[in-house]
Amino acid sequence: MNCKELVYMLEDYIDGTMEEQLRRELSVHIEACEPCLNFLRTYEKTRILCRHIRPDEIPDELRKRLKTFVMEKVRERQRNIEKYLGEEARERLRQVEALLRAYAVNRLPPVVAALFQAHNDRCERCGAFLRSINGGKGPVEITGIPPDVEEHIVEFLDALPPGEATNLT
Amino acid sequence: MTTERVVDDNVLLEGLRRGAPEAVESLFDRYHNRIFGLAMSILKNESDAEEAVQDVFLTVVRKANTFKGNSALYSWMYRICVNACLMRLRGKRRSETVSIEEFMPVFTEEGMHASLIDDWSKEVERKALEKELGQVIQRFTEDLSEKYRVVFVLSDVEGLSNEETAHILGLTVPAVKSRLHRARLYLRERLSGYLQEGKTGPQ
Ligand SMILES: [Zn+2]
Repeated sequence: MNCKELVYMLEDYIDGTMEEQLRRELSVHIEACEPCLNFLRTYEKTRILCRHIRPDEIPDELRKRLKTFVMEKVRERQRNIEKYLGEEARERLRQVEALLRAYAVNRLPPVVAALFQAHNDRCERCGAFLRSINGGKGPVEITGIPPDVEEHIVEFLDALPPGEATNLT
Repeated sequence: MTTERVVDDNVLLEGLRRGAPEAVESLFDRYHNRIFGLAMSILKNESDAEEAVQDVFLTVVRKANTFKGNSALYSWMYRICVNACLMRLRGKRRSETVSIEEFMPVFTEEGMHASLIDDWSKEVERKALEKELGQVIQRFTEDLSEKYRVVFVLSDVEGLSNEETAHILGLTVPAVKSRLHRARLYLRERLSGYLQEGKTGPQ
C-alpha cells in the first residue's frame, strides 16, 4: 500500500468498516511512514474539532418573531379547518332534514322509502323518533333530531347509491 | 435519541395530526434551535435561515397527517429543512466558491506524499484555540459547495450517522462517505494552512 491509497481509504479505517487484511496493511504502512501518521492524526483531529463547532444560538428577538409567525399561521389554519368542519356538519344536517321532510309527506323515492323503512323497523331509536314526527301523515316541522338518530340517518344517506341522496334536497 | 424522546415525539405527532396548537408550540420549543442551527450552517445567512425555519414548521404541520412515522420525527424535520435550504440556495447567485480540488492532498507518481505533512494535532489541544478553530472551520465551510457542505453539516456538525444522513438526503451510504471524506480532506488541508500561517506570519 502506498500513501495515496492509504489516504483514500482513511475514512473506512477510522469508522471501523475496513476489512481486517487491509487494516493490517494500513497499520504496517503508517508505522513506517511519518507523513501518513501525521496525516492520520490531523485528519482525525479535524473531525473532532468539527464536532465541537456549534452553530450560532438563535437570537432571542428572532426566536420570538419565528414563534409568533408559526403560531399565528397554525391558529389561522385551525380556524379554517373548524369553519370547514362546521360547514360540513350544517350540510349534513340539511340533508337529514330533507330526508325527514320527504318522509313525512310520503315523497321518498320508492327504493329509498323501502330501505328507510327497513332501517326504522330494525332500529328502535329511529323508529320511535319517526313515530313522534307523525310518520307519513302530513307535513311537520323537523326539530330536535336526537344526535344518535341524526348519526344513523347520515350513515343511511352515505350508504345510498350516488344520486339518490342528492335527489332529496 | 433516547427512547423517552421517541415516545414524546409520538405523543407530539398525535397532537400535530389533530392540528392542536399546543402540540405545535411544543414542537417549536423542542426543535427550533436545532432546525435554526442546521439552516444557518447550510445557508450562512440569518434572514434566509429564518424563512427556511418558517417553511419547516409550516410543512410539518401541514404534512403531519401523511407522515408515516417510518423515520424519527427529527430525521423527517431535518429532511424538510435540508430541502427548504436547498430550494433557497438554488435561486441564488453564489459568491465565488473555492474549488475543493485545490485542497486535495497531492502525491508523487509513486503515490507518496508530495507535500510536507505536519502533525499539528497536539498543538491545537488548548481550549482557547478550540473556539477560534471552530470559527475558522465555519468560515472554511462557507467555501464548500452545497453538495459537500450539507453532508458535512449533517454528519460532522450535527453528529448523525452516515445511514441517517444518507436517508435524509436520499443518497447512498457510499456517496455520503465519499463526500464526507473529501470535505474532511479539504478542511484538514485548510486548517494546516491556517496553523502554518500563524507560525510564520507576523506575530
Ligand atoms: Zn505514507
